Amino acid sequence: MRNIGITKFLIIIFIANIIESLSAPYLINFYLSIPLTFLIFSFGIFRSSRKLSSLFAFSCGLYVDLISSSPFGLNAGIFTIMSYAISIYANTFKLFSYIQICIFFGIATVFYIGFKNLIMNLENFSYLLLFISFFINILLFLMSSMLRYYFHRFL
Amino acid sequence: MSRVALTAGSKFLYFFFVSISGLFLYIDLNYKSFEGIKNFYQSFIISSKYFVKSTTVEPITFLYEITKEKSYLINENKKLKLELDRSYISNFIISNDSKFFVDDEAIKNFLNINSIEKVFYLAKLQYFDNEMYLCCSKHRAFIQLYNSHNDLLGSPVVNDKGIIGQIIYGNSLYEVLLLTDIDHVLPIVSGNHFCNARGSGKPEIIICKYNNKLWQQKVEIGQKFFSSGMGGIYPKGILIGKVKEIREVDENFTEFDISLTSSPLASNVFGVLESL
Repeated sequence: MRNIGITKFLIIIFIANIIESLSAPYLINFYLSIPLTFLIFSFGIFRSSRKLSSLFAFSCGLYVDLISSSPFGLNAGIFTIMSYAISIYANTFKLFSYIQICIFFGIATVFYIGFKNLIMNLENFSYLLLFISFFINILLFLMSSMLRYYFHRFL
Repeated sequence: MSRVALTAGSKFLYFFFVSISGLFLYIDLNYKSFEGIKNFYQSFIISSKYFVKSTTVEPITFLYEITKEKSYLINENKKLKLELDRSYISNFIISNDSKFFVDDEAIKNFLNINSIEKVFYLAKLQYFDNEMYLCCSKHRAFIQLYNSHNDLLGSPVVNDKGIIGQIIYGNSLYEVLLLTDIDHVLPIVSGNHFCNARGSGKPEIIICKYNNKLWQQKVEIGQKFFSSGMGGIYPKGILIGKVKEIREVDENFTEFDISLTSSPLASNVFGVLESL
């Protein structure tokens, strides 16, 4: 993800969106939401060594709005804010441990789910969903970071 | 390598794009201004899916369906052929029911006493040595019932043309002694002329030898002979065949060949009757 091209990045986001839309109906039964598209975008921004412009984040968000049938501007705004937050704390993250970074992304995920539910699903807004998603997402981030660590060792 | 810290201009751009996003969101939620773009995208995706499916998946599915349909038709054809053979044998028995059984009451009694649900059991030919049948004296067929049934030894075996032989051995695979086997003896009758016809060892021919001093009534070519039912195996009155050739063995004995009406080669499906 460090120096991935824009086309590849968009294709990955497209596939992630399909996986997300397929898995969401099953996960919601367990009060769980895993915004895979948002997470991949955030991870891409986080790992990128280049200086990413706000236009890229905004365009990416519009692209996700288009492919996920969300209201135009919803993902664009959140992606831009997330990109801003990562850019602001880019150098501070180096001082953080993996657990702290995972908690940061967990909070960002909950923010994303909550904001999205406020706009698109206000009638069924659930704090339980946010609460469970927060812990499960943090757990997933920790597991994936550990796997990455072991995978890196084997390489 | 550390990232360059955000400048005031960059921060302003972020603020600008977030504001634009908010504006887009407001316009979309209140005025549905982007529905056209969304619908265009959805129609493009649906068209692409349809195109990809019609050019890749559907030809393969079509080929698979063709092969599947072919095998289905073959199976259906086999099933229909089996039903047809069954109906032929049923027709043969029904058309000769007065010979198999005295009357309807006799059929019912026979079925009730023996706890039989069917008049005959359908069997298929498993092995038949055609070469042996054409050249030699041992004429046997091996058949297998579609639905297993015990105690069928001695039962007559028929096809849609007539009697073929009798079961002499077997449990699941039954050995049928054909009428033309030289070990087989079939009591036959024509008018007042009774005779024990032996298998000739030739295809579709049985031989009858009688004392012409005892039976003075002459036998003619083409004369029909029927089963007499004297052996207790076969039912009475079933057409066995017609006289084909008559020979004088000596001054006391006459021999004649009977050409059988039925042939084991006519069908590979048989009916096995319950022992009478």
